[in-house]
Amino acid sequence: MSRKTVRTLFIALLIYLPLQYAVVGIVGYYDAEPWPAFVFPGFKSVYVYDDGFEITRTVFDVETVHRQRSHDMSPQVLFPEIPLSQIPGFVRTHFSDDESVQNISEDGKAWLRSNAADIAGFTPNAMHIIELTEYYRQTGDGAVLDMAIETGRITILF
Amino acid sequence: MSYKERFDRWIFNSFTVSAEGLALLRIFTSLFILLFLIPGMSMSHFGFLSSLPNDFYSPPPGPLRLLEGFPPLAVFQISHTILVISLFAMLIGYHTKWASILTGILILFLQGFIYSIGKVNHEIVIPLVPVIMAFSNWGVAYSVDCRRKTDSIKPESWPLTLLALFIAVMMFTAGFPKILGGWLDPSTQAAQGHLFNQFFIRERQALLAGRAVGFDHALFWELLDWFTVLFEVGFIMALFKASWFRLFVGLAVVFHFSTMMALNIAFLPNFLAYVVFLNWDKVYASIRSATIKTSGIRGPKSGKWTVYLFTGILMFLFLPIKWVSINGYALSQTDLMLHEFIVVTSAFLFIVILALVKVIEKIRKTPDK
Repeated sequence: MSRKTVRTLFIALLIYLPLQYAVVGIVGYYDAEPWPAFVFPGFKSVYVYDDGFEITRTVFDVETVHRQRSHDMSPQVLFPEIPLSQIPGFVRTHFSDDESVQNISEDGKAWLRSNAADIAGFTPNAMHIIELTEYYRQTGDGAVLDMAIETGRITILF
Repeated sequence: MSYKERFDRWIFNSFTVSAEGLALLRIFTSLFILLFLIPGMSMSHFGFLSSLPNDFYSPPPGPLRLLEGFPPLAVFQISHTILVISLFAMLIGYHTKWASILTGILILFLQGFIYSIGKVNHEIVIPLVPVIMAFSNWGVAYSVDCRRKTDSIKPESWPLTLLALFIAVMMFTAGFPKILGGWLDPSTQAAQGHLFNQFFIRERQALLAGRAVGFDHALFWELLDWFTVLFEVGFIMALFKASWFRLFVGLAVVFHFSTMMALNIAFLPNFLAYVVFLNWDKVYASIRSATIKTSGIRGPKSGKWTVYLFTGILMFLFLPIKWVSINGYALSQTDLMLHEFIVVTSAFLFIVILALVKVIEKIRKTPDK
């Protein structure tokens, strides 16, 4: 590459990189983070309340008819093939609102049911996706769970 | 000096490279990607992706939205095979430039599908490094290419400046949202909150995570919040002087090591980019002088043996780590892979030793009063 071409490339990138960051911010706000993009993770959230910390957890609870048998499991247990770093995003994208959960096709439901059956040891008739908000506070003995509140529940019937 | 001259000096003279040093970097990069950073790590993950119902195909905004679902396994198998071949071509320096570019494109392609389940991981440096370094002519020495007539091809240092620019901007994109998110608010300890999240929700509880959760000193955690933000945003300033940039890269290694110990997150892909800024000429010179001393081989042959020895050392170190990792000898209470722990810890120790050597050299150079 000639010096002139390299210089032009640098000028173009010095303009492009801040612009793409702005676009990533805008698209990320209205839709999801675009890809490919030249960004690192922001980890901008601050999980804090009064003098403690607030954390949201999702639990998958499966049961048979009349709850004769039930089993709850974390997303990382239900989806062991998905890397832990992708689990929160996967759960947020597919299981955080009622409409998208109810729109899961029969194929998708069968896949979820089969995954859950493998873990629970029985074939479930329903799956509850429960969102819990947990409040921790620091004590001399370390972090202690103050309370856990159910902040959302979506049910899939198989 | 005019602005144009300053700009040129920044682009072309910030870093110095040699054909021999770049050859070692090329070999290191190829083996590091091949053994530790290849997308999916094994074909089984692609088998899982191609078996997923289309409901769970949710690509990020971008080119993959043109598809309706994951492609069949054969597409992944072919791409993965070509990627491995291109990595080997890069390793031996066969059509190095094109092999490097192809490596980058294929990694990007495979990563795209891995991220199409609803979560993008920030690992774009893995394809970025081979694509950018392709233009450094890192196949000009100790390669199949160099057997052909390549006298007119010289090593280029501007790709290092370009990579530094990408890293600095990307680091800024990590730091800036933290300012907006309230990390600098003295009444909140954001890093501690993330530690809790990783510890309790993601069950990343190995190494020093348990001790860190019990360590409740607001001032310490607040200082950590400030250091993190200033360090990430400050990378931009380091861009304008190679020695500052190398210092920030060293700090980044320490930062990632601390993050791994407390949060069990290794950020291994970043190390592929950081290693580019190691003084590879010095590495080459050190191994060559050791080769000459121990074997007595001199002249051009000693250079070849230097490269063989370097490749052998890497294989000797990397292969057992890989073997241990793929055989499931893992750390308990975390998803951190054993090879990630070993590589990041080794990099940290290397930086500490390097810093100590520099300090001792400085003290020795200071004249007695």
